Amino acid sequence: MSLRRTLSFLGRFTVIVLLSCFALYILVPILWMISSTLRPPMDSFKLPPAILPSQFELENYQIVFQKVAFGSFVYNSLKISMLSTALQLISSSMAAFAFARLHFRGRNVLFIAFLASMMIPAHVMGIPRFIIMSKVKLIDNHAALILPAIFGAMGIFLIRQFMLTIPKSYDDAAYIDGASKLYCYLRIVLPMTKPALVVIALQTVISTWNDFYGPLIYINSEAKMTLPLGLTVLKGVFMSGNQGVILAGVLLSLIAPLVFYLFGQRFLIEGITLSGLKG
Amino acid sequence: MSIVKHRKNPNHDAQAAWLFLLPSLTGFVLFVVLPFIMVIYLSFMKYNIITPAKWNNYKNWIMLTLDKRFLLTLGNSAKFVLLLVPMHMLMGLVLALGVNSLKKNKALVFGYRTVFYFPTLLATSSIAIAWSMVLNKDFGLLNYYLGLLGAEKIAWLNSSFWVYPATMLFSLWKFVGGYFLYFLIGLQGIDKGYLEAAEIDGATAWQKTRHITLPLLSPTIFFVFITMMIGTIQIFDEPYMLTGGGPGDASRSISLYIYETAFTSQKFGYAAAQSLILMVIVMIITLIQFKTSGTLVSYDRE
Repeated sequence: MSLRRTLSFLGRFTVIVLLSCFALYILVPILWMISSTLRPPMDSFKLPPAILPSQFELENYQIVFQKVAFGSFVYNSLKISMLSTALQLISSSMAAFAFARLHFRGRNVLFIAFLASMMIPAHVMGIPRFIIMSKVKLIDNHAALILPAIFGAMGIFLIRQFMLTIPKSYDDAAYIDGASKLYCYLRIVLPMTKPALVVIALQTVISTWNDFYGPLIYINSEAKMTLPLGLTVLKGVFMSGNQGVILAGVLLSLIAPLVFYLFGQRFLIEGITLSGLKG
Repeated sequence: MSIVKHRKNPNHDAQAAWLFLLPSLTGFVLFVVLPFIMVIYLSFMKYNIITPAKWNNYKNWIMLTLDKRFLLTLGNSAKFVLLLVPMHMLMGLVLALGVNSLKKNKALVFGYRTVFYFPTLLATSSIAIAWSMVLNKDFGLLNYYLGLLGAEKIAWLNSSFWVYPATMLFSLWKFVGGYFLYFLIGLQGIDKGYLEAAEIDGATAWQKTRHITLPLLSPTIFFVFITMMIGTIQIFDEPYMLTGGGPGDASRSISLYIYETAFTSQKFGYAAAQSLILMVIVMIITLIQFKTSGTLVSYDRE
């Protein structure tokens, strides 16, 4: 018995050592990024690379704001991700309510058509959408990035799945009391759908914040760029000169998604379970 | 319940339904149906946005079969799939099994989960900028430490061979946490009764994993596999940011080539034809999923 216990202890110890090695693989580049940004600009390429910060120069962070419109990048990213998310939540929850709660002809056909749209790759839609946006003069305009959020098949699907788990007797009771469909949606079903709404909000806000392809094709002027696109400008200016500045920009751009995540971490895991892993 | 049903006016229901659907339906028509029709139409046209579209006698489709770069970049994307998908499946599963075996220690599980998962929240394009510095031949972190071990400097991003291992290193760092988390959640959902029964019968840890855990996890494994295939065949941000497709065309993916055909060379018609091929591939993968998910995997735990 004691041999067995020793073996199991050794097994656990090995597992912890191996997992910690992998954790180092994840963490070391991040630590290196942080330390590199805190070096004075002239030491940018000096070897050995710093893993733990030994200096605390903030000059790189100042340069980021001086040389590119970094403040605008942050503002644009916030604006676009917030508005897209709001649009997506309103529109998807309304559609989900119709699919989960109301009877109408063609409901299943339409639902399947919506779902089928998820099969179309982003790069197939990119070309015609760009042409549409240029026809309506929305190139280099944030609306080109925000408006498509009005339709989100994944959001509709997840919210509908969640609404189906809410007993219909709540609605029926309200209808007997003379409530309208709108009242039932706003006051009865929506409040109970909150967990699914939070999941969709988080997923949308993070994926919009991180989107690179959309801004890349629609936005041209520096003042209108989002963070991921703006960083390419920063990279263009400093790649051969000072990598500390670029890394400072990259690090600053990573803060928001992490904050979003910390805020809703337990909901995100719920979302993965919700998205129908069980097939 | 039945009384309520009778009282409901189906027409009233339908009217309300279409009102609720209006925003999504408008978006669906404007940003899915219309673009979809346009992309098919464009694939038969010569079009550069400035001059009106012109019929060009199936030239785009003929060109597809002659364009060596199209086949090459399609092959590169397939290469990414063949390298990245098995790597993520294996590592994601191994990490999940490892963390799950420590499940009695909540703090440890939480710590590993947070560390492994957080890179998936970051913008691929932004973090790839940092990784291109990690992989830099002369000043990069990786070569510096390999040098301490006595290795030669590797041109990670400037060699048509090493760009693939380089992309794998980056992709593992960036994405494995997501797959790990899927597997971990799957593992946590497995009924402990099976494992306890096997333990009483004297099964070893490997036997339990091989004959109980993995079969019961197969729906998750299959789901992750398909999602990853669909995602990886469209790989764009990584080659765009790490290498720009280079050296030469060595790491140019099909999505990157389509993007360049449209937005750099202004050949929107040809790019439309190329993108439709990509779409057909993605649809085939999806349909295979629908067809096989019933037979390949065990859904016993429902």
